[in-house]
Amino acid sequence: MRYVIDRLEDYIAGLVTGVIGAFIITEGLTYRMGSLHSMGPGYFPVILGAIMVVLALFMVISAKPAEIAVARPEGGQLRGMAFLAAAFAGFALTVESLGMLVSVTLAVFLASLANRQTTLVTALILAVGTAVVSALVFRVGLGLQIKAF
Amino acid sequence: MSTLINDLALGLSVAASVGGLLYCFLGVFLGTVVGVLPGIGIMATLAMLMPITYHIDPNYALIMLGGIYYGASYGGSTASILMNLPGTATSAVTGLDGYPMAQQGRAGQALFMTAIASFVGSIFGVLLLVTLSVPLSRVALKFGPQEYVALMALGLIAASVIGSGRTVRSLASVSLGLALGLIGLDLNSGVARFTFGQTVLFDGLPLVAVAIGLFGLPEIIANAGRTDTPKVNQDKIRLRDMLPTRTDWRRSGMPMVRGSGIGAFFGALPGTGGLVATFVSYAVEARCSRHPEEFGKGAIEGVVAPEAANNAAVQAAFIPTLSLGIPGDPVMAIMLGVMMVHGILPGPDVIQTSPDLFWGLIVSFVIGNLMLLVLNLPLVGLWVRMLRIPYTLLFPVIVALTCIGIYSVNYQVTDVFVLLAFGFLGLGMKALRFDVAPLLLGFVLGPMIEEYFRRALIVSGGDMMSFLDRPIAGTITVITGALLAWALIRAGWKQFGPRRREVQDA
Repeated sequence: MRYVIDRLEDYIAGLVTGVIGAFIITEGLTYRMGSLHSMGPGYFPVILGAIMVVLALFMVISAKPAEIAVARPEGGQLRGMAFLAAAFAGFALTVESLGMLVSVTLAVFLASLANRQTTLVTALILAVGTAVVSALVFRVGLGLQIKAF
Repeated sequence: MSTLINDLALGLSVAASVGGLLYCFLGVFLGTVVGVLPGIGIMATLAMLMPITYHIDPNYALIMLGGIYYGASYGGSTASILMNLPGTATSAVTGLDGYPMAQQGRAGQALFMTAIASFVGSIFGVLLLVTLSVPLSRVALKFGPQEYVALMALGLIAASVIGSGRTVRSLASVSLGLALGLIGLDLNSGVARFTFGQTVLFDGLPLVAVAIGLFGLPEIIANAGRTDTPKVNQDKIRLRDMLPTRTDWRRSGMPMVRGSGIGAFFGALPGTGGLVATFVSYAVEARCSRHPEEFGKGAIEGVVAPEAANNAAVQAAFIPTLSLGIPGDPVMAIMLGVMMVHGILPGPDVIQTSPDLFWGLIVSFVIGNLMLLVLNLPLVGLWVRMLRIPYTLLFPVIVALTCIGIYSVNYQVTDVFVLLAFGFLGLGMKALRFDVAPLLLGFVLGPMIEEYFRRALIVSGGDMMSFLDRPIAGTITVITGALLAWALIRAGWKQFGPRRREVQDA
């Protein structure tokens, strides 16, 4: 067991690569393969998938103990990730219905909270300020086809 | 000779026009800003500026994007020297000796010499670009599909083997990138591949969103939670204190020349670029130096050589991009993307069909580098002050501008989600120590390499030997094969061979 745990990073890397490779092969096989002198849409993807599977096998066979422990994300990073993902998603979900002012405010506000030291008031001021300036620059100045509100 | 003068005059007419100068300045200025500030990369900046590039003449758009790219490589050393916190990855080596110099009160001299070294390296790279691009593109015009496949395969394999990551994982990255590049309608048969019924995917994944997601987002996430503000040396840096001593000049001469040569070599190879060049040039200097004991304690050679190498590499990276249409790194891939949006098909005939673009860009490099010399010498104090802006207020604005930038490319909400998805892919790959740069190169070259591969086999009637029979394609294939064999044997030796000293993982 210890043998496996020491080599866990390489095994995971190999497993992920192998699964993706196998997926590409199965999906690629649903397209017409054709022959070497007249390749169908399936030929090239299947070659790529096969290469990935071979590389995955190589990773597993040659696995060796990791010198450095796998970097686990710490609390701050997870918080940052969650809020930043929310910021991008928030922008994407509101920009077409509610316009740039709202969506930029939302994105900046959520993104600011990714850092635990930023207070709600600071985040709000920054968000509104950025929204107004970017609406002026991009909508009025550059004439992008994004409605302001 | 007279054609060269004509070409340069044409370039000058583009680069020295009001618009050319303006966008060149904007580019190098922003480049310096993002270079100086740790935590904001070139990729995120390019994303933020996408909206502008669609509204201006493609010549100006590329002049600006180019300016950001080489401008950032000047600025990166500032934070590296003053705070031992590299502004860009390529300037990490500069800090090895630059920071000790700053601690000894010689920050001014270090900054001065890096600006000079950057300039020397850049000009060397530009000269090489001028001399090599035109003949290279003439040769490339005679290329058939076999040569293109061989060349692209060489680029991808070189990127995986020479790059910073582990060879086998980088090769897996390249394969995944190639496969991701195939998403969308197959041009030959009209079959939709890997789209899973989503019509938005028919045109393939959006390059800019993929690139920013892979490189920009992990960068922001890594820095967003940072609570400590880096300490900046409070000493005022005056121009008078910056003048290097005569010994500094004497000791910097040859390292700059060697650094430029090493940088230009690695920069011109697709997929390797500045990072490798800085490490190699530092190692070379430490070996050639008459006082190797000073390295790591503030040796001027250790500052100027990597800086020259870094900048020469950046300029040389344009050689394969402009003369062959094969991007050497993610930034070049974005530049090609911008060209395509403006209807310019990258490839060896760009120099002939759009001479104003090619020569305008070249002349703008010279002008931009002169501007950078001014920006980095008398104005260095400004940048030092800028380092005090808290990152906590900066990154939310970057997030918003990135959103707007990505969205404005196609006005597709899905592009923002693609960015997010690739951001997480980038994080995941980083956690498992896969290199992401090969993936992006594979993604860009995927459709092209498949197209040429199919065409090559149609022309030769399915004969794989045609990749070896033709002299140019054969030579390139043999080099590629040798490179791959060497890398795999080396990787195998590391794993299975006798356990020697602990293997250093870069």
